[in-house]
Amino acid sequence: MPAVLHQIENRAGDAPAEDWRAIAATLRRYVRARTSRADVVEDVVQETLSRLVHQGRVQKLLSVYALGFRIAANLLIDHHRRDSRYVAESGEETASLAPSPHRVLAGRQAVAILKEALAAMPPLRRDVLVRRRLHGQSCAAIAKELGLSAKAVEKHITRGLADLHKAMPGDTAAREAVR
Amino acid sequence: MTRDAQIVEEAAAWIDRLNRPVVDAAVGPAFDAWMAAAPRHREVIAELQALWQSEALVEALGQSRLAPGVATAPSVITDRSGRLRRAAPRFAAAACAMLVAVMLIVPALLTSTYRTNAGRGRSVVLGDGSRVDMSGDTELRVQILPWKRSAELVRGEAFFDVRHERVRIFRVASGTTSVRVLGTAFNVDRQSPTRTAVVVYRGAVEVGVAGETELVLNTGYGARVVDGHVIAQRRIAGGVPDWKSGWFEASDVPLGVLIDKVQRYSARPILLHDRALQALPISGRFHVSDTERALQAVQAAYHVDIAYGPKTIAIRPAGEADDR
Repeated sequence: MPAVLHQIENRAGDAPAEDWRAIAATLRRYVRARTSRADVVEDVVQETLSRLVHQGRVQKLLSVYALGFRIAANLLIDHHRRDSRYVAESGEETASLAPSPHRVLAGRQAVAILKEALAAMPPLRRDVLVRRRLHGQSCAAIAKELGLSAKAVEKHITRGLADLHKAMPGDTAAREAVR
Repeated sequence: MTRDAQIVEEAAAWIDRLNRPVVDAAVGPAFDAWMAAAPRHREVIAELQALWQSEALVEALGQSRLAPGVATAPSVITDRSGRLRRAAPRFAAAACAMLVAVMLIVPALLTSTYRTNAGRGRSVVLGDGSRVDMSGDTELRVQILPWKRSAELVRGEAFFDVRHERVRIFRVASGTTSVRVLGTAFNVDRQSPTRTAVVVYRGAVEVGVAGETELVLNTGYGARVVDGHVIAQRRIAGGVPDWKSGWFEASDVPLGVLIDKVQRYSARPILLHDRALQALPISGRFHVSDTERALQAVQAAYHVDIAYGPKTIAIRPAGEADDR
């Protein structure tokens, strides 16, 4: 898929254009997995790219990809807020906290699939994931409380995440469709 | 393991490393190198990062935690050994007792206190990702626990931008006034021990007094709680509270409250001892971050004398000032 980078003029010191294409495609895939709104996807990707370029000129970036994900995540939150504020201002304050019906549907399916995948896991692995993602515990704290080694905790997280990814539909199919 | 399954596991390991609060500087370049190595690496990372951050995952984990027969509560007794696990029923009561102990003891240990001096605001990011902008001369005690999030405004004023979480409610207490939210942005101003003002900038909050829910405030609304009574106020608000730009809009507010606000920005103590003056109702828009300008405005509109000493500023009823 061609990346649209027309508003960013390439300068000496910037990453080469083919890198930007790869970065743009990765961000687009990430943002698309997080929102069902097509108009938001392009907005967020373009804004993230231009901020990355700008940041890269100001300082040496430790990781373009890691920073890109972070910027995009923040922009998604901003978009979500703006949407809720719009709903609130139109007089339906109580509705402002609920996502749109379309997203609820997609979200419910995803929750059901993830719940099933979690139920199929060894209880210890599920416990580690709950502690890490839901309670934000550090790996060291989880290791200590569960009497595991730090390495074992990491293994549970990576295996667990891989299990969840496998359960989610369409990742491979979507990949083929995009090509 | 297939090649693709191996990529997914490698990617998952990166996701775990990248989503830690502190990321080693050496990890960044190594991650970019891995990403550059193959298109499939980038695809899987994008999917996994979205999955890891999704609300759907949080919800699924939150619900799975409650599944019967799974001991995933934040208890101390865990399946550390097979012997323990086999004896689980006998230990259940003990585990509950321990859990209660943990819930009572841990909070005391995990309270963080944030303070600012007069004239100096500060922004803090809490353990759950919520942000708090504190005004000057403000003290805030915060507890972020696996099962609840709470903050106590001991004095001063703060703007809260609370990270939305389905499970953990965020509660702010200011005297007997409490504000309860899931994820929203709002301002809490503790004007005196018995007087608190709340304004909501995004989402909705519940305002309660002495443990009772009094009213729900939606975006753009505010409420003042004075001596246990709630007065709702409509407020046509901008995106951020006035104090962040150094202003305070008063409508029938005691002079004492205004002076406290000016004090939040001034390193020089402002003395206002006269009781009648403290209670004097004032209205207007004051540039409280500019001490002299704000006090001049007060002097111009009300019958007061202001004496600027080298270490203090004294406010007295007009005509009483010349007892030197």
